[in-house]
Amino acid sequence: MELNIYAYKCKRCGHIHYPYKTICKNCGENDHNEFDIVPLPKKGKLLTYTTLYNPPSDYEVPTLALGIVELEGGHRITGQLNIKNPKIGMNVEGKVEVVRKEAYNKHLGMVFYQA
Amino acid sequence: MREVYVAGIGITSFTRLEYPLVEIAAYPGLMALRDSGLKKIDQLYVANMGSGRVNGQTGLASAVVDHLSLTPAGAVTIENGPASGASAIKEGFMAVASGMHDVVMVIGAERMREVNQLEATDFVATLTHPLAEYIYGVTLPSLAGMFARLYMEKYGVTSRHLAMVAVKNHHNAMDNFYAHLHEEITLEGILDSPEASTNNPYVADPLRFYDMCPVSDGGACLILVSADVMKKLNKPMIRLAGIGQATDTHAVHERKDPTYLFAVREAAKKSFAMAGVKPEDVDVAELHDAFTILEIAESEEVGFFKKGEGHIALEKGETKIGGKIPINPSGGLKAKGHPVGATGVGQAHEIVLQLRGEAKKRQVKNAKIGFTCNFGGFGNNVVCLTFIKEK
Amino acid sequence: MSIDLEKILRPVDMVLPEFPAKYMTLSNGQEMVVRQVNRDEIPDILPHVEKLMHVERDYYHIVAARVYAELLAYYTYRVQDEYVLAAQVDGEIVAVVNGRIVNPDIGMSFHTLSMRRGLRVGAHAFAAKMEYHMDILKQKEVLIVAESPIGFRRWMIEYKLEKRFHIPHELGGCPSWSLTRNLFDNARNTLVVGRRPVPEKLLAKAHDAILPPTDPPKPPEDLLAATRSMLDNTGTSLIDMRRKLGGM
Ligand SMILES: [Zn+2]
Repeated sequence: MELNIYAYKCKRCGHIHYPYKTICKNCGENDHNEFDIVPLPKKGKLLTYTTLYNPPSDYEVPTLALGIVELEGGHRITGQLNIKNPKIGMNVEGKVEVVRKEAYNKHLGMVFYQA
Repeated sequence: MREVYVAGIGITSFTRLEYPLVEIAAYPGLMALRDSGLKKIDQLYVANMGSGRVNGQTGLASAVVDHLSLTPAGAVTIENGPASGASAIKEGFMAVASGMHDVVMVIGAERMREVNQLEATDFVATLTHPLAEYIYGVTLPSLAGMFARLYMEKYGVTSRHLAMVAVKNHHNAMDNFYAHLHEEITLEGILDSPEASTNNPYVADPLRFYDMCPVSDGGACLILVSADVMKKLNKPMIRLAGIGQATDTHAVHERKDPTYLFAVREAAKKSFAMAGVKPEDVDVAELHDAFTILEIAESEEVGFFKKGEGHIALEKGETKIGGKIPINPSGGLKAKGHPVGATGVGQAHEIVLQLRGEAKKRQVKNAKIGFTCNFGGFGNNVVCLTFIKEK
Repeated sequence: MSIDLEKILRPVDMVLPEFPAKYMTLSNGQEMVVRQVNRDEIPDILPHVEKLMHVERDYYHIVAARVYAELLAYYTYRVQDEYVLAAQVDGEIVAVVNGRIVNPDIGMSFHTLSMRRGLRVGAHAFAAKMEYHMDILKQKEVLIVAESPIGFRRWMIEYKLEKRFHIPHELGGCPSWSLTRNLFDNARNTLVVGRRPVPEKLLAKAHDAILPPTDPPKPPEDLLAATRSMLDNTGTSLIDMRRKLGGM
């Protein structure tokens, strides 16, 4: 089964939110808060990135590459990068993988690779 | 609304303080009481971000009000991330302006060095979006790194500009007894020499070690009073004239242009409008330079310079003491230190000193209007204050 | 003591090549010289180390006490194959590092004692020590252990050291970490810096005299204030803090 990161599409105006919100940011109507769950696209362009040289202590890696990706359709997502020489504007493709472990809990998130 | 004045100020060194948090909070309170000549207060606000998590103590304001023997005055703890300090000042202002109270003490205090640096960084990182940011290992330095990368690409800011902010603020802090770092640094040492990349390693590239503020303990206090009380005290009439607060999306990636700090722009605009002044009227400012790039970006967003020109003004020396608009004469968060919950109050403390003309060697001449920007989250909750010296 | 007994007690040191002095620019623009000090210079260093034994923070007390003992042992010929490097700025001593040669292949890193905070002086001095083991003595690995969390972060994490937990380190028998040639080569570009030869004047100044550190780590104003105030929240520590901050 292919794993996805889900976004929330307003049932009234169709605006897509990631992450989830209680009231739609676009139509702002508070007489409803209904959203359809839609998978976020996986392909996009790297908007910005950084390499963190002292990641949080629960990571057993010396450095952690993070970036913001503008996905097809214009939604943005923060994710981890698994790219040797990242460049602003490069094409990337995401995979849903374990991004953080907390005791026996695993958190899934988007990890981007060079497309 | 009634007018609100600063009657007294107090501060501890921003450094590593091996004292219980309650005392770090109480000491500046004591200094401010002495400074103002007041003995009693109506209300205490204590700004703090991490006492429950870092120090294992909750209900801080109740402990502090008792420690200062100011009971039965009201006491409330305010947690609003790194913008807790200025947020508490806003609450204090409203309490006096509304006529509900005449004397309000606002203390900001934080003790972060009780835990090691990684834990302190993780504690601050918990203010990021839990599902869209925190789970990826996002910390504040990494958000600043991503912000800086895009900003540098877009506006031509270079590592040299960032280093110049650090050199300036380290230099300013040399004359500030209460600053965390008393160490001059040079462009040669952190940028140009063959050893510079080891002296100044990457933390979240393109940001390096000297682009980051230190992890500090510290406390600061302001006593806010009504005009009637102020007139009896025979102190310089420093009025808290403008307050602006604004918020932005929790997750940074949701912002239309991630190089814009909309909340800073909005908060500054409101603060100036309320005070009835323009950015160009400001004589001295304390901006929230937790990362060097933020001093440049905020100096543009609050309206001192055009977007994309902050680094040019820095190059020309306009932000030095003696320049057109001196920024962070105290050393800023970069060198004065950043005890998160106390920072906003610490900034206000510096501006009051400057307006009173008591800032000694780092005094900005004839400062009449002062401004602070206290930046919470990564720009998702910002409070700007404008102070005016009256005759 | 008879000469014969001294002969038995005194180990015979290997003849080791000298660490060629180097210099580097610090963040504040000052130039720091790292050089090997000889036995006769040890008494000039000891008083500055001794003061740090009373700095009860960041494990300065234990590191200083052990460094003192190691330097004394070196001076009195009671340790085999030890070497001591010193870092100086304008003659002023800012760091001492030392270690020992276990056998031609394996080095034992002892201590890194920084007497100036905030300028990565200790990091540079530690790197010089590793350079001595790897490049000058051509050893295969150096065994390392940290007493303070700061040291741990610097050495174990920055150099990504390998575990050698089955080997007790000579310092307290704690589990060892190892810097291998491979790890050293990886760190070489980012962590091991410095220029040679040292300009004559700079080197002469360093050799001229070992001057006391001007801004050494200091103990908290009152060693017990923090502890006492936790037991007795009556305001004693408030008075101490006032003293520390110089009044109003
Ligand atoms: Zn909608």
